Amino acid sequence: MPVTNQALPASYQLLNYRVDRQISRGGFSIVYRAFDETGAPVAIKEYLPSSLVLRTEGDIVRASSAENLTSFRYGMKCFFEEGRALAKINHPNVVRVLNFFRANETVYMVMRYERGRTLQQQIQMRQDQMSERFVRHVFMHLLNGLREVHTHKLLHLDIKPANIYLRTDGTPVLLDFGAARQTLTNTRPKLAPMYTPGFAAPEQYRDPERLGPWTDVYGAGASMFACLAAFAPQAADARVQEDHLVSAKKIWSGQYSDNVLDVIDWCLRLDPLERPQSVFALQKAIRDIPTRKRKLTFLGNLKRVLFSEIGA
Amino acid sequence: MRFTIFQESRKGSRKVNQDRIAYTYGRDTLLLVIADGMGGHAGGEIAAQICVRLFIERFQQEAKPVLRNPLKFLQDTMLRAHAALGSYAAQFSMLETPRTTCVAVIVQANHAYWAHVGDSRFYLFRQGGLIAATKDHSKVQYLVDQGLIGPHEVISHPDRNKIFSCLGGLVDPIIDLSKRTPLRNGDVMVMCTDGLWSVMPQNEMSTWLTSTPILKTSPQMMREAEKRGGPDGDNLSTIIVRWGPETLTDDTATTTTTTDTLNLGDFHTEIDKTVTLTDRKGTQRDLTDDEIERAIAEIQSTIQKYRR
Repeated sequence: MPVTNQALPASYQLLNYRVDRQISRGGFSIVYRAFDETGAPVAIKEYLPSSLVLRTEGDIVRASSAENLTSFRYGMKCFFEEGRALAKINHPNVVRVLNFFRANETVYMVMRYERGRTLQQQIQMRQDQMSERFVRHVFMHLLNGLREVHTHKLLHLDIKPANIYLRTDGTPVLLDFGAARQTLTNTRPKLAPMYTPGFAAPEQYRDPERLGPWTDVYGAGASMFACLAAFAPQAADARVQEDHLVSAKKIWSGQYSDNVLDVIDWCLRLDPLERPQSVFALQKAIRDIPTRKRKLTFLGNLKRVLFSEIGA
Repeated sequence: MRFTIFQESRKGSRKVNQDRIAYTYGRDTLLLVIADGMGGHAGGEIAAQICVRLFIERFQQEAKPVLRNPLKFLQDTMLRAHAALGSYAAQFSMLETPRTTCVAVIVQANHAYWAHVGDSRFYLFRQGGLIAATKDHSKVQYLVDQGLIGPHEVISHPDRNKIFSCLGGLVDPIIDLSKRTPLRNGDVMVMCTDGLWSVMPQNEMSTWLTSTPILKTSPQMMREAEKRGGPDGDNLSTIIVRWGPETLTDDTATTTTTTDTLNLGDFHTEIDKTVTLTDRKGTQRDLTDDEIERAIAEIQSTIQKYRR
């Protein structure tokens, strides 16, 4: 069994927070639910790269070798980047950072705890197809948040349903900026960012020089695709070799408006220059959907014909 | 901040160089410091070195990201340097405390602040004219002020090297502090030791430095000054800063220093043009504990600032 970093135990007192349980574990961190001194829940992200095993027992993080310490400290910079960027963003659709501190020889980021579920869980739970209204609602709000992120000169670089949280009131929150800005992969392969196949844009695999807002636009388009399909589109690196992705327009023609399908296909273009170049451009395209002249489905059309015959 | 900076220290005809010069800057604040050590043996060199190093270290500790009170910083640091020289002498049972002059300048938020002890000088030129300067703590300057000798007699006076205020002396130093002085683009700040000003009158300096790119003419001026010093020439040192973007040359990209690209908490330091304390290309370097603390402090203050 491979050795993994040990999570902090329940009831562990971390500064003025009491750890409740581990919520999730990613490539660079473990996220816990905890309670502050007033009993209010918070989410605490602990910087602990899984590729470096640094804690097999207890609470103190110790590098097992000088080389590991170097990688560990180097990766910490990225964690700071994330904290630095998020600290400036106070937007309802972006996770809010409440505190940032150092303990146990590593660093922690305290975030607002949100109730709800991820879009990923939502997709997996649903039996029938997601309505266009729902998809549109989620993404219009989410893109507002993403636009705010880009305004602060930060790229998310890991937009996917698992990182989109749906509050109980249905509004989305963009989570996990762990991949943000981690573009220096060549020098320290130990801390290479982990891309999510299907949601990562082709330039993330081979061309970090070309990362831009359009890279997150690809992730947003792939996430919309996943909402409709309940599976991720073909991975971009494979698409570059041999593109098997069937366009959204082809698959769902008639079930969703042409504009939504066109927008998804536009976001999923392999050439970064052919995608919407900014979130604003993407939002404009989604907004431009003429709601009145919505193309009707076969049944809808039949209904309209029947009504017009009865009514008039 | 944008500025063009030049610094150079030359030995003149002396065996050792007892002058020390350095500058360091973060994203939003700049420190320039010159010390001219005095005394036999290694004393003068040590004194100047201690003074300059102390200035840089304190500056990097206090400038987070700017100095809260630049004039207080200048005064405190000079007093600490004075005390440090005393304890250095005590520690090594030196008969004579190493002593030094000092002039230091802080620039932040487009304002300059300076302080000096002894006869190392600061000049501020605007459009070729001198708009501010320090007044030496020297016997000859006193005589000039009393009207006993004329300014032209200063250079040849037998007591020209006698100063009544220095760091490391028996009595506490007299520290002159400037006013908060707004800078305009194109202003030229010059700091120098007596080795330079005694052979290069300020009006001539202004001609050298205010109408041509300083990176071109400053080395020429220093060569000329060293020549004038002759076989008995003193150490001569200068730091010259032209404030704002360089407009006198087309080659602005390579001459103008822009601090906007520095990370908050990072400093770029040059001592005597030869020693570099901090590694500017910090991207491949590990974080030090200090840098971690600073990054956390910065994030926490940002969180506070954006809290609604």
